[in-house]
Order: sequence, then structure tokens, then C-alpha cells
Amino acid sequence: MVVGGGPAGISAALVASDAGVRVVLVDERPSLGGQIYKQPGPGFRVTDLAAMDKQFRFGRSLITSVDETDVKILLRTSVLSIEGHQVVLLTDGGRARTITAEKVILAPGAHDRPVVFPGWTLPGVLTAGGLQTMVKTQRVLPGNRILFAGSGPVALAFPAQLAGYGAGIVAALEAGPAPQPLDIVRILRAARGNTGLLRDALRYRTELWHARIPIRYRRMVVRAEGEGRVERIVHAAVDAQWRVLPGTEKVEFVDALCIGYGFVPSIELLRLVGCQFDFDEDLGGLVVRRDDWLRTSVPDVYAAGDGAGVEGSFVAIDEGQLAGLAAAMDLGAISAQTAANDCAPARTRLMRRRALTDATRRLYRVGPGVYELSTPDTVICRCESVRQAALARAIEATDDINVVKAETRAGMGLCQGKNCQRQVAAMISRRHGKPLADIPLASPRAPVRPISISALADDTITGRTLFLPETVPEDGTAQP
Amino acid sequence: MSNASAPPQGIPLEISRSLLPASTDVLVIGGGIAGAAVAYYLAKAGVEVTLIERGELNREASGTNAGSFHFQLAIHQLSVKGPGADRERLLAEARLSLEAFALWQGLDSELDGSLDVHQTGGWMVAETAEQLQTLYDKHELEQLAGIETEVLTGTTLRARAPYLAEDLLGATYCPMEGHANPLVVAPLYALRAMQSGAQIRTHVEVLGIETSPIGRPERFTVKTDAGVIQAHRIVNCGGAWSGELAAMVGLRLPVRSEGLHVNVTEPRPRMFEPMIQHIGRRLTMKQTNNGNFIIGGGWPSSAAPRPQRYRTIWNSAAGNTAVALRVVPGLADVRVIRTWSGVIAFTDDLSPIVGESELVPGYHACLASTGFTFSPMLARQLAERMTASLDTPPFPKGYSLDRATPTART
Repeated sequence: MVVGGGPAGISAALVASDAGVRVVLVDERPSLGGQIYKQPGPGFRVTDLAAMDKQFRFGRSLITSVDETDVKILLRTSVLSIEGHQVVLLTDGGRARTITAEKVILAPGAHDRPVVFPGWTLPGVLTAGGLQTMVKTQRVLPGNRILFAGSGPVALAFPAQLAGYGAGIVAALEAGPAPQPLDIVRILRAARGNTGLLRDALRYRTELWHARIPIRYRRMVVRAEGEGRVERIVHAAVDAQWRVLPGTEKVEFVDALCIGYGFVPSIELLRLVGCQFDFDEDLGGLVVRRDDWLRTSVPDVYAAGDGAGVEGSFVAIDEGQLAGLAAAMDLGAISAQTAANDCAPARTRLMRRRALTDATRRLYRVGPGVYELSTPDTVICRCESVRQAALARAIEATDDINVVKAETRAGMGLCQGKNCQRQVAAMISRRHGKPLADIPLASPRAPVRPISISALADDTITGRTLFLPETVPEDGTAQP
Repeated sequence: MSNASAPPQGIPLEISRSLLPASTDVLVIGGGIAGAAVAYYLAKAGVEVTLIERGELNREASGTNAGSFHFQLAIHQLSVKGPGADRERLLAEARLSLEAFALWQGLDSELDGSLDVHQTGGWMVAETAEQLQTLYDKHELEQLAGIETEVLTGTTLRARAPYLAEDLLGATYCPMEGHANPLVVAPLYALRAMQSGAQIRTHVEVLGIETSPIGRPERFTVKTDAGVIQAHRIVNCGGAWSGELAAMVGLRLPVRSEGLHVNVTEPRPRMFEPMIQHIGRRLTMKQTNNGNFIIGGGWPSSAAPRPQRYRTIWNSAAGNTAVALRVVPGLADVRVIRTWSGVIAFTDDLSPIVGESELVPGYHACLASTGFTFSPMLARQLAERMTASLDTPPFPKGYSLDRATPTART
């Protein structure tokens, strides 16, 4: 079973299927492609493929390939829980059902890093992923004066793409430093195998320059303000740790603010099954631990793509291939020798991509200041409206995030902590002087997506009761 | 960044993680509702008391139950023979719950805080004719015990509870039932205990207990992972793990633990006030102040080695919500957003384990199967006996700590 139909999942499914393995590929969205190869939404049709951008066309070809195999593709389908080899699925409008999978490849991708600052909940404040979905699947722009604030590879690519769609972009703010000559040298050294990426980077910069979109380095949004929606934002200069330098604030008038400070792996399922993790903020925080065949610490569970550490779509494709080969090999469908031979090109490419990531690390390092923009009045838990001041009080008495959750309700809402948990962990880290890497997150729980009671309920289930053996059983018959 | 002007919400970490005292009069082991309440009542009586908890306060059974007060007789109290059997036990339990609730009603002001105690009433529904008969049978016992209940059927029932499925044969309503917020009770008891002079320490785990001859102030030498503490008396409030703590002094407690699975939904507009249970199937359900539905009833979760939380089980969620949906059809489109697990202790004979051991004088315990409802009351009674003069009546023999320990004489 491959969970996630983005580049990693599609690759894994293709490779495993090629090796003769029976594969089920599952994705929540209405079409394959994940976040990066977003296909037009229902009701839209591509009339001129050649006019679509390169990314789209590449994604389309991957999807076509997997459509032509025997892989069983389940769309609009979420994985709600995994217990051992039992995978619980829910398709939109259906009822929960269980599939037994001998091997599970988790390729859940990543989601926008939530960044908390005063005004982050105002209408008109969007994440890069959200804006990308609007634009790619619905061809809608959220405003005419969009300001982009972010960092990392997205910071270059996304405003340029938006400019290509005719968006009015006021400015692009990059939290990291402007590339210095030494950085360029390092990057060029890592150029082998990465020329495509580097060409793209150059092209994006050129597009922004042509469109007269100013890029400001070492600046971050510190506040969004407006009546009922964002009308202006305040940005300031930051140091190498992304901490605000006082006295550098500037105001911009906007009608939409796009936040793109990178992505964080969607790790709910990986945590639920009990995988072990390491911590690397530059890869998005918690990064699942894997061996050289991408096996996690949980038997029969593999992880590939951005869900295992955000390194982009090319890495995802190669990791998908690796994981697909690993699963096929572990199932006995191919020999170890075949797997070793077949994985060689992917491994080489991965090495080269990682050389590029290492070279660009200085530029894209996430600073601890990203967690320090909120004020006592800022709502941290959006679902339960819990403000920072209430969290700070609870954190006086504990360093355990579960206890903070119980005290304040932060993390108990519909999003189950996806938006607030990291911020709460950062608060604990600062108050009690523990490294962020050492703050365990709240206990992972099923279902990882909400499910209606009618889709969940199953009245054929009886099973043992907790109480005295002599209690009245469910079906009314006597039991010993 | 801390908001220093508001009253403290909990015991500051600087205090709860500070050095373990070298000695104490009473050592309370376990930071759930029982331990925190015992520490509170003892501290208020001027006794030198130290409470130690190996994890965080209120993270096990006390903090993971749904906070319900059960008064009418329920499925887990009845044997297959029906309410007629075990009549004495059931009557005793019923009277005990009345006493417990009286204490709960005064607890907000006793502890000077809000425990969200609500008397919402409770329904116990019947689907089959047999179940309906059980409702009538237990109603008789409830009257005897002084618990106010009425059995309703047909159009009367539908008018009173339009949210219940129309084809249910009947239901018992008990106006006394209700709930409090389990997330705040034990921590508030602990905070007030500390403010009354108790020493509270978390992240302290007991590794072993050595017993010296009676009469010595250092009767018990307790080895922990934070150092050694001498105690004149011990109160075992270890809940699901009280058996392990008792074994350290050679006692066997008739307690076992089970993992419990609870489901919680997204918030919805108010649909019903009372708690809803089923006389023949496992269901306890309520809608909180925030609008979330909490659906439980005794479904299992799956054990995991410490310090992991027990894993919730999909089949428990599916089976439990099926009963909820059968009873309240309006829940169909309400979404479950998470599950949680707790570990709860059951005593083998359903009677509490409270009092002082005669086999190991100085060693006390305070443990009840329906711990959330009864612990405050039992804790207060235990504290009274530990501080009172000789003419305080002892606990019933059925509560004895020694009842399951084989002795040389028997």
C-alpha cells in the first residue's frame, strides 16, 4: 500500500508494480500529483498542454504512467489509522473500511510551516500551499496587491510563478540572507546533476526582475492588520537567527498576504505507527529515521518524499523508487542483486541533490526567531482560540505538551494541533531551556482525519468487555 | 513572557521538580485524584505530607476518564443473574454514591475553584424487552437506596427526550447524575495541598520500599530515582499500579488494570443535556460545555509499555460509536476528531481498597474502581482516620488492604 499520490508515491507505485507486486495507491485529493503537480480542479480541462508549465507537464506524464499500470488507485481516500498491517481507509461519501497490507510505503508529503504572528488569522492571510491550490486548480487570485513573505526555495519560485499568472505582487520578503559570492561558489560546486534546478532558480530571479518585483532579504512579516481582512502588514529586518531588529519596521498596504516559510513533513501516520524520529529544523522539524533502503524503525513501514524530510520533488521521485524497490525486495518479488542494480541511478541522483541542499543550507536555514513573533494576545490555537498568555501560564507548571493541552485545550480542536503544536513546543523550549528537538509532541491519535459517526460506526463489532466476567453481555446470552 | 499577575494555574515547575525531602511523616505515592485529595486533607489537618508522582499529575485514570458521576445502577455493576442478586452490594454502592455526590457539590467552594460540576441528569436506555425489565428491576433497588429514578416509555419518553431513537423501548431517568471536569480536579487538589503545606514532587518514581520495625519514625525507607526518603507512614494511591507498590511491602492488592478507549467529536450546537447510557450495551455519552460529544462506555484500548500511552483501537471506536448512533440517530453526521486512552484500575470484587493494613501497620491505601466519583470522599475519610482519635469507626472489612494477601495463618 502506498499512502500519498505525489511524486514519491507515484514513483514507488510504478517501481513496485513493475516488479510484479500488487499495489494500492491512495490519495486524499481528487487527482494524483500531490501538492507540486496540482491538476486543474473539477470542471476545468487543459485545452493546450504545450502551454502549461514544465512542472505541470512532467507531473502529467508521471500520472499517465501510473494510470497505465495495474496499480489500484484510490482517490479522495484518506488513511485514518494503521494498526499493524491493517490500514483503515475512508473514501469521500463512503464508510470506513480496512485493507490488509504486507508492506506500507508512507509518502504523505508536507504542508506549509505554520508561522504565528499577530494577525495571522485575518482573512486574506494565506499560506503558499493554499494560494498555490487556488491558482493551480481554480485559477483564482486572492487579491490585487499580494505581498509574499517567506524563505527557502519557495521564496524564489513562487512569486515568480504567481507573476507569470498575472498577479500583482507588491514585494517578496526573504527571511534569509542574499546569496553571497561564497554561497554561489558552493552552489556551483554542487551543480553536477543539479543544473536543471539552478537554471530554474536563475530564471525565477530574472522573472521577478522583469516584473519589477522587489526582493528584500533578511526581512519578515511581524504583524498583519486590518478591519475584517488584511489591509496592511508590518515587516521588519531580522538577524541571522530571524530575530527582529528593533526600529526597522515598515508598513505595506496589501489585500492579500502569502506566507511561505517552507514546509513541514505531515507526520501524523508515521507517529501513529510508532516510528522513531530525529530532529532537523531545516528539513522541517521531525524527520523520520530510516535505513539506507528507507525502512523506518517500524517493521514493514517505509517512508519516502517530503513526508520524510522536505527536500523537494526530485528527491521525492528518487526516494519513491528506492522505497518501491525496497518493498519489492523485502517481499521477495525481486532479488537483492536486482534491487541493488536498479537503485543505482536513483542513489547517485540523490547524492547529488543532497550536495546542493548542503550548499544552500546557509541560505535556507530556519532561524529560531520564526517562533518568536507572537505576543501574549496572539491566538496560538486557532481551533480553540487559545491565546499565548494562557499557554504561558500553563507552561509555568509543566514542560509536558500533553499537560499544556489538557490545561488549555490547545491542540484539541479540529486540526488536532497541526497549526499550533510546534509553536507550543517552542514556547516550552524557551521557558524551560530545553532544546526544541527534545520536546516530544502530543500523543499521536487515530483518526488522523475527522470521520463522521455514520461512516465510522460498525454495529457488528462486539468483543470483550472491560468489566467483571459475569456482567450482562451485549447479546443477552449468558457468558462464563 | 509569563503573565505574573494572574493566579497560578498549577504548581510551578521550579517547585515540583525541586529536591526530594529527606524525610516526611506521611508519604503519598501517586499524583492522581486519590493521592492529591489525600495530600490535601492531611495537609489541611496539619500533617506533614509529601506527595510523589512518577510522571505528571493527573495523567492516568484521573485525567483520562470522562468525569461522569454514576448514580443509577449500570451495566458494569450487574451480574448475569440480574439486579436481584448481589442486592446487598448494590444497595451499599448506591448509598455510597449519594455520600460522594454530597461532597462533590461542596467541592468548588472547598477548593476555591471551578470544577465544572454539573448536575445534568442521566438516561439509561433499553432496547429489548429483557433490558426494559432490568430497568424496572433495578428501579426498585434504587428507590430503596434513596436514588431518585423514573422509568419512562412510549410517548412520554419521546416527549422528554426527542433526541433518543424513537424505537427504544424505554429509559430510566435519574436527575442526580452529572459530571465534573477531570482535567482540573486533581491538579487543583494538589495546588491547594501545596498551599496548605504539602510537598509535591513530580518525576519521582519509587524503586523499592524497606520496612523497619514498628515504632521507629523511619518506618519506611523509600528508594526513588530522585533519592531516598524516609517516611513514618505511606499512603499507596498508585491506582492501576497500586499492586506493584503493595508488593514492595509484601502485600497483594486485588487490583487489575485495563486500557480504556474514549472517542471525542467536533463541537456541535447543544443537542442534549443529560448523560446517556445503555443498560445492555457499552455506552456512556455526554455533550460538554464546548459542544464536543464524548463517547465511551468501557471499550478497550491496547496496552503499551511505559512511558508510551496505550494505543486506541479502531474497532473500539467503530463499535462504541455504533451504540451511540443507535441510541441518538442525530449523531450521524457529527465527526469524531480524536480518540484517547486511559488506564483504569478495577478491584477484583468491585469494593474499594481503603484504610491501613494490619499486616503492615503504617501502610495505607486509597483506591476505588469508580475512582473519579469516590476518591474525594474516601480520601477525606482516610485522612480523618489517620489524624483522628481511636474512637473513629474503621472502614468496612470489605475495604481491607489485606483481604487478598495470603498469610501464614490461613
